[in-house]
Amino acid sequence: MSHALLSIAFHEYALAGLAYLAYLVRQWKLLPLIGRALVGSGLVLHAIALAAQGVPQGMAQGLSALAFLLLFILLALDLRYRMPVIGAFLTPIAVAVLVPGLLTHGGPALPNSVRRPLLPLHISIALLGLAAFAVATGVAVMYLLLDRQMKGKRFGMLFSRLPSLGFLDELNRRLVVWGFIALSVTLITGAYFASGIQGVYWVWQSKEIATLVAWALFAGLLTARVFAGWQGRRVAMLTMAGFCLLLVSFFSHYPIPYDVGLR
Amino acid sequence: MELLCLGLSHKTAPIGVRERLALPAEHQEQLLRKLCTAPAEAMVVSTCNRVEFYLVAADLPRAKATVVEEIHARIGSVSTDHWYEHHGDAALVHLFRVACSLDSMVIGEAQILGQVKEAFELAQRLGAAGGELTRACSAAFTAAKRVRSETGIGRAPVSMASAAVELAEKIFGGLSGKRVLMVGAGEIAELTVKHLSSAGATEIVIANRTLQRAQALASILGAVARPFEELPVLLIAADMVISSTASPTPLFTQETVSPVLKSRRFRPLFMLDIAVPRDIAPDVNQLDGVYAYDLDDIQKVVVENTAVRGAEAEKAEALIAEEIAKFVRARSVRDGVPVLALLRARADQIARAELEKTLSSLGEGLSEKQRRSIESMALAIINKLLHQPTAKLREASLEEGVSRLAGAAAELFGLEETPSSPDPPPAIAQRGRQR
Repeated sequence: MSHALLSIAFHEYALAGLAYLAYLVRQWKLLPLIGRALVGSGLVLHAIALAAQGVPQGMAQGLSALAFLLLFILLALDLRYRMPVIGAFLTPIAVAVLVPGLLTHGGPALPNSVRRPLLPLHISIALLGLAAFAVATGVAVMYLLLDRQMKGKRFGMLFSRLPSLGFLDELNRRLVVWGFIALSVTLITGAYFASGIQGVYWVWQSKEIATLVAWALFAGLLTARVFAGWQGRRVAMLTMAGFCLLLVSFFSHYPIPYDVGLR
Repeated sequence: MELLCLGLSHKTAPIGVRERLALPAEHQEQLLRKLCTAPAEAMVVSTCNRVEFYLVAADLPRAKATVVEEIHARIGSVSTDHWYEHHGDAALVHLFRVACSLDSMVIGEAQILGQVKEAFELAQRLGAAGGELTRACSAAFTAAKRVRSETGIGRAPVSMASAAVELAEKIFGGLSGKRVLMVGAGEIAELTVKHLSSAGATEIVIANRTLQRAQALASILGAVARPFEELPVLLIAADMVISSTASPTPLFTQETVSPVLKSRRFRPLFMLDIAVPRDIAPDVNQLDGVYAYDLDDIQKVVVENTAVRGAEAEKAEALIAEEIAKFVRARSVRDGVPVLALLRARADQIARAELEKTLSSLGEGLSEKQRRSIESMALAIINKLLHQPTAKLREASLEEGVSRLAGAAAELFGLEETPSSPDPPPAIAQRGRQR
């Protein structure tokens, strides 16, 4: 049942992505409306499917939840700022993230040892942070693309469709702030669970190291933003670098499942 | 004699070539003095977007060679691809289109007319503008006045200013609270600043080499005038820089701009260079967060708006064609035989008017014979008086085709219908209307 819902949601997202992309080329006012409606209804079905599954287990469900949060943020941004172009850039990525979640059913159950009352919170916040950084990275890519056009003096389609550099930079700042808060909470709750399971707060494993480095990077980034006025291109590049570290952390969390065939 | 226009403009040469050729006033003067002795009539129009030489000479190839030589001596060789050459009526049409701002990068901008006028006045002062050029220019100026008042083309420069606003908005999002630094003064710069300010930019600072000019402009724009020397400090506070000075070397280079980036806290900086030669070195654009555009770049944004101006430009072209036709007509009146006919008609007319006056004042006391002898005396005086000029004019027009003598005669006797003559003789004015 939940898989069927997920499948419908997936197709809705894919169509929404097409609508947003088409809007890049043809500025029909109807297209973003269609995109928003499809994403919105897809999110409802997706939410039901996720609720039926319970706490995300395994990478597939993790990715499914991640895609949900990504699209949720995208829809919120689109509704808030009326910027369908963000949807055109990020909806296809969210759809791609969802593919493994569609291909697999469930996953290995979590061992009882890690089942703690606050575990869903830890995982949700971790995924929310990741989703925020993913959107921030998408925004950073848009920034770099527009920056290149502005510098190269090629005033093509992207120039006319993308929002201003100032807007993208400000959006990046907000997303990174929220992502950073979520990441900090994730680290603290993670340390709390680690102490409960393994008896120590911190284990020097690839996941922990990558997460910590990413946290330090974003902490430095925000500090430089506030105190030195950093912005624009270098912030965009650092956002992308930080997100890559978080991806490493995310994928090292799950043993690579053989049934998906990711390698 | 034929008019020749030799030049390059934004349509044929990139800004890099144009700025090398932008002749300073003293070079123009030297060149014009040289051409005067060539002998030739000459005018140099040198603006941001064009350098053009208008020549009228009996020996055109030689005059042209003088110009080319001079350019090579000053700046070395320039690829011939960038040059254009118009002869005769084509050159005339070009002059009209330039003066009417139809050939401008920003079609309809008003500055070009002033620049052509200045070029003409300089040529006149140096004695380089003779009858041909003077007539051509004054006709072009009349056409420009008509184009400005009878078409909507003057509204078009707005597109350039709004292109600048579009770029600025692409960088900053909204412009509210943004600060504009205007370096140097000029019509397009002023217009651009006005647009930026109506798009929300709050603070405008003007730095000009002459402070008085800055202050005068500041009071118009509601801006603050600052001394030119404060430029590095002013750059720290500015978000947008509109530069249009006559400086021969760039005011802004990587060396001058990059030190202030940190003090600016890396805020984006939008720089627009309306000057030729450029005020902003091209490498400034490579600095992180600095977006520097010159006239050619702006044109890429402006190009989209060209279609909107199409209708008004067409109207203006039609108007120019009308004025050219008028000019050509007046010229043919000046040239050769028509002048003779006009001269005769005019003399005849005067004689008859005077005769009538005299005869009516003498009243009925005259016999028919006396009347006729007075009449024939008047006409004989005319014939005798006009005999020599008539013969000479015929001779000259046969020899040269287009005769200078005819032009002189037309001018001496007030026979031509040029737009510059404020009060054409009534008989001729009627002629003009009948055609």
